[in-house]
Amino acid sequence: MLAMDAGRRISRSYGAPQGAASVRSALRSLRSAGIRAALPSAPLELSARSDQPPRLEAPLALEGATLAVRRVAGEPVAGFTAFLDGVQRSQVVGYADAMPIVHADVAAVVRERVTRRLRTWRAPRVIRRLYAPLSSLDPALALVLHERCGAVDPFAGEEPTLVRHPQECTARALTAVQREREGAELALLEEWLAGPGGPVLVDGGISGSRAATTDGRAVGVVKSHRTLYATGESLPVILGLREGERTTAVGVTSPRRFPVATWYLRLRDPGSGSPFFGLVRVEVAREGDLTARADEASRWLLAERTPVALPDPRWDVMSYGVRDCEQYLSAIIR
Amino acid sequence: MTATILGRVVATERRPNTPHEFHFWTALDAPVGIGTIVRVETDRPVSGVLPRVYGVVTEAFGFTDLQTPLHDVLGADGDPAQSVAAPTERTEIRLYTAAVLRHVPEEPLQPVAMGSVHLASESDVQIALRMESYATGESARGIPVGLYRAGGTEAAIHLDADFLLGPEAAHLSISGVSGLATKTSAVEWLLASIFAHLPASKGRVAAVCFNVKGPDLCFLDQPATALSEEDRALHEALGVPAKPFEKVRYFAPWSAKGGQLATLRSNDALQENVQPLTWGLRETLQYAEVLLNKDDIDAKADALIDFIKERVLDQVFTDPGFLERAHEVRSFSDLEGWFRELLRSMESRNADVWRTHHVATIRKVRNRLSNISTRCRGLVTDDGSVSDLPFKEFEDRTVYVVDVANLEEDAQDLVFARVVSQLREHLEKRQLGVEQVVVFVDELNKYAPADGPETYVRKMLLDIAERGRYLGLVLFGAQQFRSQVHRRVVGNSGTSLYGRMDPDELATPGYQTFTPATKARLATLEKGQLMVRHPHFGQPIFVRFPRPAVLGGREGVERFPQAEELPLDAAVTKALRKLDPAITLGWVKDTLALAGEDEDGILRARNRTLQARPDDVKAFFRAHLKKRTPTEPVARRGPTPLRVPGGDDPYA
Repeated sequence: MLAMDAGRRISRSYGAPQGAASVRSALRSLRSAGIRAALPSAPLELSARSDQPPRLEAPLALEGATLAVRRVAGEPVAGFTAFLDGVQRSQVVGYADAMPIVHADVAAVVRERVTRRLRTWRAPRVIRRLYAPLSSLDPALALVLHERCGAVDPFAGEEPTLVRHPQECTARALTAVQREREGAELALLEEWLAGPGGPVLVDGGISGSRAATTDGRAVGVVKSHRTLYATGESLPVILGLREGERTTAVGVTSPRRFPVATWYLRLRDPGSGSPFFGLVRVEVAREGDLTARADEASRWLLAERTPVALPDPRWDVMSYGVRDCEQYLSAIIR
Repeated sequence: MTATILGRVVATERRPNTPHEFHFWTALDAPVGIGTIVRVETDRPVSGVLPRVYGVVTEAFGFTDLQTPLHDVLGADGDPAQSVAAPTERTEIRLYTAAVLRHVPEEPLQPVAMGSVHLASESDVQIALRMESYATGESARGIPVGLYRAGGTEAAIHLDADFLLGPEAAHLSISGVSGLATKTSAVEWLLASIFAHLPASKGRVAAVCFNVKGPDLCFLDQPATALSEEDRALHEALGVPAKPFEKVRYFAPWSAKGGQLATLRSNDALQENVQPLTWGLRETLQYAEVLLNKDDIDAKADALIDFIKERVLDQVFTDPGFLERAHEVRSFSDLEGWFRELLRSMESRNADVWRTHHVATIRKVRNRLSNISTRCRGLVTDDGSVSDLPFKEFEDRTVYVVDVANLEEDAQDLVFARVVSQLREHLEKRQLGVEQVVVFVDELNKYAPADGPETYVRKMLLDIAERGRYLGLVLFGAQQFRSQVHRRVVGNSGTSLYGRMDPDELATPGYQTFTPATKARLATLEKGQLMVRHPHFGQPIFVRFPRPAVLGGREGVERFPQAEELPLDAAVTKALRKLDPAITLGWVKDTLALAGEDEDGILRARNRTLQARPDDVKAFFRAHLKKRTPTEPVARRGPTPLRVPGGDDPYA
């Protein structure tokens, strides 16, 4: 019986990826199309810089009239039954008419926690694609790339332009990859929420999914703070949070996203270090008793501080379950 | 063949697979451990054939995704209790290293490919250990050595008789710490297995066991007191009847006093198959080298001993110029008489040399030879009476136990040298009665040490180890420290068994080929577990063997207490009653009183009677006691009176 369980667990837990094949087979396809492979380069994600500067954005008051500090009521308790995260990895694999051709791996997974151990829930989403500015290339070559290599044009739907800045192409490809990843994550999240599963910790926001923003089981955790949902007056409240404290919940809206309730939570004592150390922003559906909901989700998050996610450099804000998702995905898309 | 996947093969640049070793991981609860045999299946054919690889787990690793223990400490704020309460257990891996037992097909020999790992089934074990070529079929010659047991798989492990008893390879070496009775038990078990499984086509086989200490081998014909159900099941699974040895014969020298045999098997109830082991001058002088050290036997002494062996022993020797009478030297006392007269004659003639032998050499050889019967008292008799193993009449499936536990070291060496030499000589002439003899020697490190002076016994053991397999003379040697046995002896052992080993011993160079995990397992093996190396097995295999179905030494001594040393007349009565139950203590007392013989003479008469086994025991015994010569009163003569010369004649 044990051996049977073991056999089930160590069989491959994911199916064939969507889109193009691995980097190696993509290179083979490019070579057959007469395109020489580029020298190996660093993943585009490492060199990408956001064009938008960090900013403050005024939130909508939901839990009280002003942003205030609340000590999270009750003891930390494990409440999440699953963790969801996605990864992406893209690189330039060749040039056609000096235009970069980008290969991307995108994957997302839900890792379910059963008797304190994490295991993959259903099949992870794995997508592999080639991105090339087909409209800017020689039509014959573009046809070959599209048909033989399954290349996708990141400028699809826009006016064809013969001349483009090559770096614009990589930036657009990267954006497309990012959307692909978010799409994979949200699709998987909705799949989870459609079932009887319990609360799920999502790495990142949940405002991209209608289902997630209306289902109390989805809890998004945002680790980066390029946009701080605060006014000048309330910013010290956020940055001054101490371990185990949260802000009152506020509302966040965006034209392309669904409204959510959000609050800041200090997971670890920053001491005299960075004010962002151990600081996360939590997103949940904007429904029900928000105070109770925020306290409950905060208790769950505080419980996830152990095991520590080291050696990940973001260990102060990352739960072990999310790190486990990343480790898993890194292994399968490598 | 089970399709359940147990693990998957992995290889990294830092830890690559080779044709001889591979790595695989399993689920945490997979039934795998050190010694487990696994099968690797791949889906990539080589030369049109899907290769299969069989391996045995030799090392195991477990680790988590922690980069340093400090991270766990930090995560728990230094409080171990917090770490226990964490909602998620860290990702943990079980990684195993396996040594390749066999590739199928054998060529081309490639690194083990990525594939699925399965627990070996019983038939897999057969293939992995190449047992299918000798353990099954019409010409089966497998000797079960134990049961392999892992993850629900049980498989009988067979040794190839051709590689255990010859002629392909031979000999067995068993090592293990003292006190667990593993070594002796394993040999007893293996002998029972050989007797049960050696096919008739391989000839007749017997065993000669030297009991060098304690009572371990003294009750091989008695059933075990309490054989557990598991032991019985193991016997059944391995096809060996859970019964004591049917045919066992014991040989022991007499005690120093000579009243009874010097063995722990002296209980009256067990005397049926116990015989004395005594040798005379002829038997001893052949192996004088064993008892005489290098200082004793220089070239000159050696020449004299050879002269005695060739010209004096067992024949009428005359030397009219020197000796007054003819000597027929058949015993130590005869030899002493010969020496005495020779030296007296030389002295009287003021001669320094006799037949090129210097008087000093003669004195030296006399001194050394004459004290042999003292040093080996009980074994070597002054009078030349011989009671020996039944060379030429060895019987199939019979154990001959030579109990030398109570002999001095020199005498043990002599017994060992002579018995083994006799076995060898008779095997060479095909006159032993069996075609194969297993000689079991405990404490082999004492008889064939890795260092120390070159002794006759060691030379002989080396000779057996190197050439015995051609003759059917097979050495089963046991020792606590394999590293202390001569490397040519252990090196020539085709099969090696290891019980629980001493960690210090495992640290010696001879064990470098074992992984740390294998060594750790060897250091903690339970009673009844062995690690086996055999020419057909690519790697050592761990097996279980049952407790032998014979009475253990300690229990035997309790159940059959040693007989007390009897007074001389009672001891003689006891000995003679084995030949003639009608003999009574009263008759013996009367006979001895009438004969008026001294103690040595009585023992001599008893020994000769036992040796001859005459029809009329009483008459024979009586005849060999010296008759008392009646003493007659003699009138005391007074001083002879001086004759007084008469007359003047001074010459009258």
